[in-house]
Amino acid sequence: MAGDIVLGYDGTDGARSALGVAVALARAFDARLSIVFGYEPNPMGGETSDYQGRLKQLGEGFVAAAAAEAREIDPSVAVEPLVVGLRPVDALIEMATERAARLIVVGSMGEIPILGAILGSVPHKLLHRSRIPVLVVPHPN
Amino acid sequence: MVTTAGLIGAEAPSRDLPPSKGLKSGALGLLASLVIGVASTAPAYSLAASLGFVTAAVGLLAPSVMVLAFVPMLFIAAAYFYLNRVDPDCGTTFTWVTRAVGPKTGWIAGWGILVTDLVVMPSLGQIAGQYTFLLFGANGLANNRFWVGFLGVVWIIVMTAICVIGIELSARTQVLLLGAEIVILAIFAAVALTKVYASHVVGSLHPTLGWLNPFHISSTGALAGAILTAVFIYWGWDTAVTVNEEAKDTKRTPGVAAVLSTLVLVGIYVVVSIAAQAFHGAGFLTANSNDVLNALGRDVFGNGWDKFLIVAVLSSASASTQTTILPAARSALSMSVHKAIPLRFGAIHPRYLTPAYATVWFGALSIVWFIGLSIISNEVLLDSILALGFGIAFYYAMTGYACVIYYRRLLLRSVKNFVFVGLAPLVGALILTWAFVDSIFVYSNPANAAGQQVWFRFVRFNVHFLGIHLYASGLGPPLIIGLGLLIVGLPLMLVWMIGHREFFRHTAEHADSLHNQAPPLTPGAAAPPD
Repeated sequence: MAGDIVLGYDGTDGARSALGVAVALARAFDARLSIVFGYEPNPMGGETSDYQGRLKQLGEGFVAAAAAEAREIDPSVAVEPLVVGLRPVDALIEMATERAARLIVVGSMGEIPILGAILGSVPHKLLHRSRIPVLVVPHPN
Repeated sequence: MVTTAGLIGAEAPSRDLPPSKGLKSGALGLLASLVIGVASTAPAYSLAASLGFVTAAVGLLAPSVMVLAFVPMLFIAAAYFYLNRVDPDCGTTFTWVTRAVGPKTGWIAGWGILVTDLVVMPSLGQIAGQYTFLLFGANGLANNRFWVGFLGVVWIIVMTAICVIGIELSARTQVLLLGAEIVILAIFAAVALTKVYASHVVGSLHPTLGWLNPFHISSTGALAGAILTAVFIYWGWDTAVTVNEEAKDTKRTPGVAAVLSTLVLVGIYVVVSIAAQAFHGAGFLTANSNDVLNALGRDVFGNGWDKFLIVAVLSSASASTQTTILPAARSALSMSVHKAIPLRFGAIHPRYLTPAYATVWFGALSIVWFIGLSIISNEVLLDSILALGFGIAFYYAMTGYACVIYYRRLLLRSVKNFVFVGLAPLVGALILTWAFVDSIFVYSNPANAAGQQVWFRFVRFNVHFLGIHLYASGLGPPLIIGLGLLIVGLPLMLVWMIGHREFFRHTAEHADSLHNQAPPLTPGAAAPPD
């Protein structure tokens, strides 16, 4: 569906505040809300299959909970939970491009920039790589 | 419950939706496979840890062992390649052996992987600690068992934390690091050989073709020990290459990355071992087996420049630590998913998305093991590497046999099947079994380990049986560590079997086709608390 709002969701506080904003935006644009969890095991570790299975399981729990919460906030918004076997940034860009999304919404890491630098911040990478507008929602604290 | 109609599986969204991106990721896929395959074996670290011990066993024939040891690895890689088709993306020796032979054998194979990963950690900690001191010129501390152990423990803690938090180097950084490692080793070999021919280096030798002839090795015991040591330097190559190639880039002819990384690896090991022993002779390498690349680096490169070699060893050891901790945690996760060990080991950290519980356990056990070994053993490095050879030979051989058994009904359908699915894995497994068994006899005599430390003095026998002379007066540490840890798995499995029968109800299966994936081993596995 063209014009989706794509939300990156990983169950953290930052992602939860982004969820509230994303629901409001989906309502305002009358757009579907795609809730995306992306994962890809480090290829250096070998033996990926069972690990991938567990990550997928975990992600399904995350997006299902997020979708339920979105419906609670606003039952009129159509929600599409997605679990994608790609790195988070690639998953968001891929899904947003495929859906010709209007906007990608993500939460920020919080108040420790150095942690973001070490872990590889998704918002940071998205801002550089995405051709679709990106909205970064501040951490609740 | 919300709709899950849009759920997309791990393999579902294909990577080549936009054509430009597809091309790029294809090209990166080959390079990444190559880098992962070579980086997982960690050439600089492997040479630093083992070259002196190979020359101790076979003297100037070390280069021939480098070539010879690759043969079983290559054959076992065929087993990995074909068994990889059974489970989606990839599996583990644990699941393959469970399918092919049965759950008890599979459990022991999985245990073999875990203890083998554990046994390499003291060696990694030792090399990392030692070479860090050498980098900063603290040569005294580099020979102090306590301080090397201390820094080694810090290293293991840091690397475990990195694996828990899930910090990953970008593919480009990995390519750069590995490239630097290989270039430094190549320059080292070139400079050493140039000096050997151009100037008179004390104790230098001109290389001869005889160094590559394994038939000159005097005793089969020396050959078995050397192969067990050399198997360690190729450890990690097969899994990384076969797994990543399957997973990343199915269109490319399989095997390109495998062939390239083979050439790179065998090339490095043969050329560097030739250059190293040409420079000062094999005796020098044996005498300096604890820090062989550092001792040589000083003389080959001269002061200052030799630090590059030390940096290469350190970066190589860090890659190797990563490719040990990550697979160990994933093997434990895999075993827990199939209910072969407690569910908690499959727990994923909700923030970092890593198998944190298993990772922390592995790190903690590594530290306990490293400290314990450092206290009771003078030759931590040697004991670890020889013991490691037992572990690797054990579970690689199991993988080879599993391949033959699993595909037994297909072997006679074509010549290709017979050779690649049957003969190669079988021969690989037999070579490793022979090295394993022969080394048991060799290392049951403590005098044959360079450490010459005697454990279990009460074990004494002197038997002549069918022309074989078995003699022991106490046992060597490598044998006790290598076999002991494998054997400890048996009682642990029996304890787990009480009350946890589910995994052990699996029955052996066999394949009817080379191309079909098998159904999941444990359908709808329960989720542990994350």
